[in-house]
Formats: sequence, C-alpha cells, structure tokens
Amino acid sequence: MKWRKWNIIIHRDLGYLCFGLTILYVISGVAVNHIQDWNPTYKIEKSTAAVDLSAVNSADNQALAAAVLDQLDETGELKNIYRQDGQTLKIFVVNNNLTVDLASETVFQEKSNKRPLLYEANFLHLNHPKKLWTWFADFYAVCLGVLAISGILVLKGRKGLSGRGKWLVGIGFLAPIFFLWLYS
Amino acid sequence: MKRIIIYIALLCVGCAVSVQAKSDIYGNGVTLTEPTPVSAILDNPDEYLGKTVRIEGMIIEVCAKRGCWVYVASDRQGEKIQVKVTDGEIVFPMSASGRLGVVEGVVEELKLSREDMIKYLEHLAEEKGQPFDPSTVKEERLIRLRGLGAEIEG
Repeated sequence: MKWRKWNIIIHRDLGYLCFGLTILYVISGVAVNHIQDWNPTYKIEKSTAAVDLSAVNSADNQALAAAVLDQLDETGELKNIYRQDGQTLKIFVVNNNLTVDLASETVFQEKSNKRPLLYEANFLHLNHPKKLWTWFADFYAVCLGVLAISGILVLKGRKGLSGRGKWLVGIGFLAPIFFLWLYS
Repeated sequence: MKRIIIYIALLCVGCAVSVQAKSDIYGNGVTLTEPTPVSAILDNPDEYLGKTVRIEGMIIEVCAKRGCWVYVASDRQGEKIQVKVTDGEIVFPMSASGRLGVVEGVVEELKLSREDMIKYLEHLAEEKGQPFDPSTVKEERLIRLRGLGAEIEG
C-alpha cells in the first residue's frame, strides 16, 4: 500500500527533524515540573557580609554604593541604585543584587548565574521569545501531532493499531483521565 | 540532503538567536498607554480593585525561586507594590532586578488573616535574608497586581 509507505517516510523524517527540540523540551519539562523545589533557570547564591561605611556620607547613595562594591570586590556592571528608605540601599549589579542595611552595615547578596543549557532550554520552552518563536513552536506542536498519528499507523496486523496498538492507545488516553479524576 | 539539513539548522539557530536578543516582553505585554502611579493605587486601593492598570517603575525585587513575582518601586520613596503572576505562565528573570519596567495587571487584594500575613511576610523576608519583626505588621490588607504582561528594559 502506497499510503503506508509514505506514512513511514513522513514518520521517520519528521522524527529526525523533531529530535533536537524534543530532547530540549524533555530537559526543560522535567526541570520546570519541579519549580516548587528549585529555580530551574538560575543558580542563586545568598550570603551576608559586613562592610564599614563609617567614613561615607549616609545621604550619598552613589558614594555608599561605590564603597560597598569596593569592599566586597564586586566588579560587575552597575545597573542601578535604589534608596528604599533611610536605612536600606539596594544596589543592582549584573548577576548580583545587594541589599545594604545601613544601620547594621551588613550587606545581603543574592548572586544569580544562569544554569547552562537549562537557561536556554527554558527560554524556548516557556516561550519567552514570543514573536517568531511562537509560530515555530506551534509548527513543532503540529509536527508532534503528525508524528503521533503517523506512529500508530506504521505497522499493520497483530502489532498494529488493529491489534495490540488499540489497547496501548487506550491506556494512553486513560492515564490523563485517571489523573483528572484523581484530582477533581 | 546534507545541504538541506544544514540550511534548516542554520535557520532555526538564526531565528532563536535574533529573537532572543530583543526579548523583553512577558506574558501579554502591555497594551494600556496611560500609567497609574503606584502611590495612587496604594492610597485609594478600593478605587482600583478589579481594574486593569499600567504601572511603571524600577523592578526592585524578583522572586528568586520561581520568578513568579516582582516588586515595583513606587513613585513615592519607601513604597512598592507586588506583581504576582501565575507560576510558569510568566517567569521573571533574575536579571530584571534594577531595570525599569512597565507592568500591566489587575489590582487585587490578598485577603489574609493577620497571622497568615505575618507568615507570608516572614517567608518573604527569610527568602531575602532580611530581618523581620512581626510587631510591625499592622495593615492586614495586601494590595497587589495580578500581572498580565510586562515590558522590562533589556
């Protein structure tokens, strides 16, 4: 049968094309599933340090920030400074957020570094790019649908859809229905 | 065949890289043009409850765990407003902190008992390594934005 031959060709080649993004989505999917337990995109390091600001004018935010960054050997690019209140100064450096308690002269640092591969995978999987990527991801989703349909039609006979295939497809539908029932 | 595969691979990489460089829109983006001062919302929350507003200001805190909320600094010193988004739908990056942002969202009130409010604020302070004094919690109303979209400078 000619259609089955074409079905196999489509399933095979589409499988090759979708392999890369599928693996990327698998990695990101597992990582994001456990978002309750960790940040899948950034590695966050929190620490507290003491600084000496006694020689700095407490009203001069720029001077305070410069003194803090100098004492902590923080050389990252300065993004912004924000005086939250009389006692709190926030300093935003690329990959590091510093909160300075001017009264106790302690600095809380929150350093963040992108997790290699996961950052990129999540960026695409969570559709942060929007625009053109949305359309590409839609196309990929359609391809997955074609892969699924063509997949169940690859074989005929006892191991095909009319044989064991229909039971396995049924189980595949039952799994989400079971969980929907369980959590309803 | 080799050429076709190489062309497709280059096209995919090209698309991803070019789009990534411009990415600064989250969720539905921002459609409103008229900004509402954060101070106005905090002064008269009842007037804004349930309304969709556009606020502008510096992103001063980002949820370090899930990127599911940010605090936007008010136009009045010492004040800020939380923008909460649905987990996974919008994920604010850590790099958003210290950047100027425009956020669109619905003003809502988080109804918590004083006890729950203390627990909630204690958790936030703990996450930020900041001291927390429960006796400072007087106001049991927490006004925040349910974020629909945002544009954050790159």
